[in-house]
Amino acid sequence: MSAGLNLVLAASAVLFAVGAFAVVARRSAVLMLIGTQFMFLAGSIAFVAFGRFGLGAVNATAGAAVAIFASATAVAELAVGLAMAALIYREHRSLAVDADRG
Amino acid sequence: MPVLLIGALPQPITEAPLVILIYAVLILMVAGALASVLMRSTLLATGAFAATLGLAALLYLTIAPFLLFAVQLLVFTTISAALLVGLLRRTTGLESTQEPFSREWIVAAGVAAAVLALLVVVVATTSWPVRATANPGAGFWATLTNSYIVGLAVLVVILASAALGSGLLLAAPTLPSARGGGSARSPSSRPRGSRR
Repeated sequence: MSAGLNLVLAASAVLFAVGAFAVVARRSAVLMLIGTQFMFLAGSIAFVAFGRFGLGAVNATAGAAVAIFASATAVAELAVGLAMAALIYREHRSLAVDADRG
Repeated sequence: MPVLLIGALPQPITEAPLVILIYAVLILMVAGALASVLMRSTLLATGAFAATLGLAALLYLTIAPFLLFAVQLLVFTTISAALLVGLLRRTTGLESTQEPFSREWIVAAGVAAAVLALLVVVVATTSWPVRATANPGAGFWATLTNSYIVGLAVLVVILASAALGSGLLLAAPTLPSARGGGSARSPSSRPRGSRR
């Protein structure tokens, strides 16, 4: 029994799928933003896994460095997205992204 | 022409307690993500989201430099949870429909206790974590500041732009309306019967 690249990549793929489902299927702006965070996190985990277990890992810390950049970009996206969600709520008294429809 | 490989190839983790911990963390991470996506209560969804990010930090602790674990836990998890809680305070007032001792809270506390117990067993029976005590993140900082200095500068610009943009968005009176040329008043100041 061992834990290697395949296991972490499979979990990363599932996490990305969960995030994509949230973005596509949910109406709440908060849940959609959480879904995008999961997609960012899945990418970061894949980078870190390749940096740790990948055969082409020349520099073991390169994957972690990319994960730091992805995390910071995700936080920036979350900040702007939540500000937009606050505006949607202020306008429609609802966090649903299609509150203006109909 | 054969490709020359320099140094030892990366090996998978084979220590049994550590492998069990990684499996448990990965399963709980995916379950937490599913729970945060499927839950009806936004507050509980935010809690599950923060727990998922914390589990990702624990995963980083097992396979990545220690500094990435610290950054993930202290910066990414904390800032994301604080931003979400801040939005919920502005909108719904953080009202949860669940009682403090409801089934969801009891299950979450049980899972957290089980993970903590597994962590204690792993720390007691294996040599993990080695990176927490031996030169934490020295090579990581060198990589960041030497190889990725341009990326760091771009990152600072992105974060500053996001902070400025979200601040300006929040300072705006209202969204311009597509059906009436925009309004500077809040919806609560509108007469009740004026909505079309």
